[in-house]
Amino acid sequence: MPWSNQSGKGGGWKSGGGPWGQRPVGGGGKPTPDLEELLRKSQDKLKQALPGGRFSGPIVAVAAALIIGIVGFFAFTVRVNPDEQGVVLRFGKYVRQLPPGLNFRLPYPIESVYKPQVTRVNRIEIGMRGSGDARSVTGSVRDVQEESLMLTGDENIVDVDFQVLWRIKDASAFLFNIQNPTTTVKEVAESAMREVVGENNIQDLLTEKRNQAEVAVQALMQRVLDSYKAGIDINQVRLQKVDPPAQVIDAFRDVQAARADQERIRNEADAYANRVVPEARGEAQTILQAAGAYKEQTVAEATGQAARFNSVYGEYRKAPQVTRTRMFLETMERVFGDMDKIIIDEKGGGSGVVPYLPLNELMKKPAAGAQ
Amino acid sequence: MKTPYAILLFIGGLIAVTAYMTLFTVQQTQQALVLQFGDPKRVIKEPGLNWKVPFIQNVEFFDNRILDLDATAQEAIASDQKRLVVDAFLRYKIVDPLKFFQTVRDQRIARQRLSTILESALRRTLGEASFIAILRDERENLMARITKQVDANAKDFGIETIDVRIKRADLPEANSQAIYRRMQTERQQEAAQIRAQGEEISRRIRAEANRKVTVIKAEATRDAETTRGEGDAERNEIFNKAFGKDPDFFGFYRSMQAYEAGLKSSDTRLLLSPNTEFFRYFNNPTGK
Repeated sequence: MPWSNQSGKGGGWKSGGGPWGQRPVGGGGKPTPDLEELLRKSQDKLKQALPGGRFSGPIVAVAAALIIGIVGFFAFTVRVNPDEQGVVLRFGKYVRQLPPGLNFRLPYPIESVYKPQVTRVNRIEIGMRGSGDARSVTGSVRDVQEESLMLTGDENIVDVDFQVLWRIKDASAFLFNIQNPTTTVKEVAESAMREVVGENNIQDLLTEKRNQAEVAVQALMQRVLDSYKAGIDINQVRLQKVDPPAQVIDAFRDVQAARADQERIRNEADAYANRVVPEARGEAQTILQAAGAYKEQTVAEATGQAARFNSVYGEYRKAPQVTRTRMFLETMERVFGDMDKIIIDEKGGGSGVVPYLPLNELMKKPAAGAQ
Repeated sequence: MKTPYAILLFIGGLIAVTAYMTLFTVQQTQQALVLQFGDPKRVIKEPGLNWKVPFIQNVEFFDNRILDLDATAQEAIASDQKRLVVDAFLRYKIVDPLKFFQTVRDQRIARQRLSTILESALRRTLGEASFIAILRDERENLMARITKQVDANAKDFGIETIDVRIKRADLPEANSQAIYRRMQTERQQEAAQIRAQGEEISRRIRAEANRKVTVIKAEATRDAETTRGEGDAERNEIFNKAFGKDPDFFGFYRSMQAYEAGLKSSDTRLLLSPNTEFFRYFNNPTGK
């Protein structure tokens, strides 16, 4: 029974006693008292070293009780921070959850406690790296093209960077149902985003469907993660950047410029129309007013002339012959008064006035007079 | 005093060692298989404290959670001969530890096998679909089909396939360049079209404005002419009424006015014969 002896003595003190203790068993137990004596001596020395050696018993007891108390306190309790939730496993089996605060638990081999941070909102960035991402490879912000370039439904390529904000919804599900939560969220996010982008056209994604895409990705991610029972809640999917790829961005900008050009040329045309049509209306008014004026003028003049004629006619009726002759003579007087006149008597010559006419001179004179 | 103490310690130690060798914990995330000289004896799926016979039996642990396998990106050819790079991931779970242990023994080998299965399932399924179906129309459907295929194969390993999701389905680099060129030309065309449309709109607006101007002026002229005509008509009526009383005298009266207004001294030269009415008393005081 060397084995039992060894454990009997060595177990009490130190395992180092094993090789010594084995030989003297048959020899009569002489070295054993030596050993006990040695220990007693060292104990005495210890007692002497302590102040008030005589009261050492109670002090040691108090100290031991204190130590046991402290160790016991830590062994039987667990502190759960406000942002955490405690999940207790008894012999590896999930038994209960702990709220934040000081909680009772059984010591180590029986119960163990996990404390996931359930209130913390985690962030995963896809399409770029940096700015506080824990899994960042280099630590600096840079674009990851193989993640951010994706095909749209109309076979174009779009450059998408986005963030996913997620939180632990169910601590035990989160801990026990999936192996790599962070990787899972990221892969699901990438897959969902590509699926949603693949269903849409590039122009919609660049403009009005951005928000719709965010919502769709969030819903899809949530559905997939729920199917894994991952215990994860997707708070938000946030599109950081949706751009055409760098190689073609100039062409896209030119389209924007073209839209501006279109707007400008249209405005110019509108300005032209807005100027020209009112002007025409003004001109129309001018024409109409002129016509109105003409009408009134004509009528007025005609009325005047008619009135004059009527007056003259009234007088004429009283003495037609005299008036007629007088009017004729008066008129001729005025007409002939200022005029150059040549009077030729036709009675004498047979051929009339024609042979005498110096037509050239006659034609010249009025022309010269007109000048 | 010495001997009972030692015996007590001995018994305590014995219990501790026995407990250590007999009892084992299956964690919430684990399941276990108890083997007796390599021969599977028990499957433990519930977490908690369990026992085994020391020395004779040993325990193999397996993960109970959903595990992920990220396939390496690979080229696949769609049914319309377009090449694409597909990156997929697989979620699986060990549901039958016994079968799993018997067929693939551990995770490393299981993952190798699963990768192969996944890759062939991807290639086969995607090869039957057109590019646009993979990209857009039937992605969900195709992923479900791949999952089913992988699941059918992986069942033999005691593995349940939760799902296969296509992470990326992109074109190879050379094709991407072609797409970039196409996108560029498409945008250029779009820009040109937008500008041309602007021109079109502009011209339409200007033409419409010009038309309005013409119409407004024409209508104004029409109304003006009508008004003038009315004026003329009224004038005629007035004249007719006045002059109609004695046409003969009107002829005389109007002639007199016309002579006076029409014959101006500056541009008129008269050759007169004394035999006219004006000269009636020129030679003869009696008037012939």
